[in-house]
Amino acid sequence: MSQNISQISETNSGTNKNIILEVRELTRRFGGLVAVNHVSFGVHEDEIFGLIGPNGAGKTTLFNLITSLIPISSGELFYQGVRISQLCCHQIAGLGIARTFQNIRLFGELSALENIIIARHVHTKSNLITGILELPTAVKEEKRSRQKALELLELVGLSDRATENARNLAYGDQRRLEIARALALEPKILLLDEPAAGMNPSEKHQLSQFIRDLRSLFNLTIILIEHHVPLVMGLCDRIAVLDFGELIALGEPSVVRNDPAVIEAYLGNE
Amino acid sequence: MSEFFSTYGSLIVSMVLGALLGLSLYLPLMTGQLSLASPGFYALGGYIAAILSTKVFNQSSHEFSIFYLLLEMGIAGIVCGLLGIAVGIPTLRLRGIYLAIATIAFGEVLRVVSLNLEITGGAVGIFGIPQPFPNQISYLWVALPLLIVSMLILYRLERIRVGRAFIAIREDELVAGAMGINPTYYKILAFTLGAILAGVVGAISAHFLNTWNARQGTFDASIIYLTFVLIGGSRTFVGPVLGGIVFTALPEILRNLAQTNGLPDWLAHFLQDGRLIIFGLLIVTGTIFFPQGIVTPNIFNIFNIFTRKSKKI
Repeated sequence: MSQNISQISETNSGTNKNIILEVRELTRRFGGLVAVNHVSFGVHEDEIFGLIGPNGAGKTTLFNLITSLIPISSGELFYQGVRISQLCCHQIAGLGIARTFQNIRLFGELSALENIIIARHVHTKSNLITGILELPTAVKEEKRSRQKALELLELVGLSDRATENARNLAYGDQRRLEIARALALEPKILLLDEPAAGMNPSEKHQLSQFIRDLRSLFNLTIILIEHHVPLVMGLCDRIAVLDFGELIALGEPSVVRNDPAVIEAYLGNE
Repeated sequence: MSEFFSTYGSLIVSMVLGALLGLSLYLPLMTGQLSLASPGFYALGGYIAAILSTKVFNQSSHEFSIFYLLLEMGIAGIVCGLLGIAVGIPTLRLRGIYLAIATIAFGEVLRVVSLNLEITGGAVGIFGIPQPFPNQISYLWVALPLLIVSMLILYRLERIRVGRAFIAIREDELVAGAMGINPTYYKILAFTLGAILAGVVGAISAHFLNTWNARQGTFDASIIYLTFVLIGGSRTFVGPVLGGIVFTALPEILRNLAQTNGLPDWLAHFLQDGRLIIFGLLIVTGTIFFPQGIVTPNIFNIFNIFTRKSKKI
């Protein structure tokens, strides 16, 4: 592992930006279908990194591989220079990679507040005994979790809905609650899977401002999947384009926009 | 009053034990795991107590000390806990109905083993288990505190980090993992806690019933315990407790109803002999009309002032 770290620091020495997440030759097969095919890229620290591509390009599968929700067929993942491709999803979350889901997956039966407190799990330590006996450390911890959760609810503008069951919230509120829940992990990298899905243009505009604010507020690196091209172009520092599981373009929005391969993937070949 | 206790003492203790068994099934269900292993651990706990009290602790002729009973409960809890970990690690990889089948199989294995071992008394079982108490109602001295402590623990558990991890896994195991919760660890923990409780209750039951054999903790029993939880309520510990109490008492209540004067013969017969049919009908209609059980977590909102306060935030 130390060898890997030295390798990465060597490759970084050329640039002044640190690579926080590196995807190397990542592949995932579902039977005969190759959903993600030898994809490699690096995400810089404090970057907003866009992941775009037509439907079925493998974007969400790539997210699932990064967060280890599904096993990798081949290839490797490095987080801050350390290989994480063999870790379980809860370990990866513990390291500071949090995510939201394309089809919102809140704990519907629980309140907005409880949804966030659950995500404080890795930052709390109380166990069965200290918790049940209400020992001072556990009580203090509990208070802090609650406080932190209320702050996050305020950040996403849901303070007045704290005790509402998550599934009773409006669609847009659920999206924001999911982001708040992911932030409760105090992540270094935040993966947003189609955060603007189902929003109208003005909401989309607000959302991109909100994502920028999040980055500066929490020193976050943000990777997002989005279909709405103007939003991605305006928001992201760099963009990776996937098509049929392969990385076909990578670079700044202005470069990617004019890439013939990207135009072909989106508009078809004339 | 004393007449009441001598008539119903046995039933009252059974009701408390039923509530405890409901809780032992509820614990793995907190993490969404439908495990029917509780009767197996219950049977094992009973055998541990029966063997220890008849073969090891029974040297003197005077009354069996309650201290030995508590010791047996402790030993049964530890053994069942260890076995719970050993059984939980492989079986909790299974989900839903497959876990239910695997845990039923576990109970059957224990049953067949106890039928064939000499130390468990074979098909006859172990009888003449010494009594630490002069009468049946006195078993409440052990069973009731155990129920109260278990309820207090579960009340707290539903409100702390560990319990929330359980609930998160029940709601969505994949997302719980993505939130940093180790699903395997917490599923095994919940399963093991349920095993410990079932074992301890088994130890009490062995003395209470005076005899222990392979008919304890069979598949039938697991369905009855499941009824306690599913009809009582599977979202808060109050459900299985009430379910255990009511459903243990129900057959006796029906039997008494049947003796009411002026009932037509066929109805009296139905109430007396058809109580298993009534039981089954309740299970079917209950699961249709109360999918989360009769008692839901809202029960705390009615009583709990703190919850109301927090709504104003």
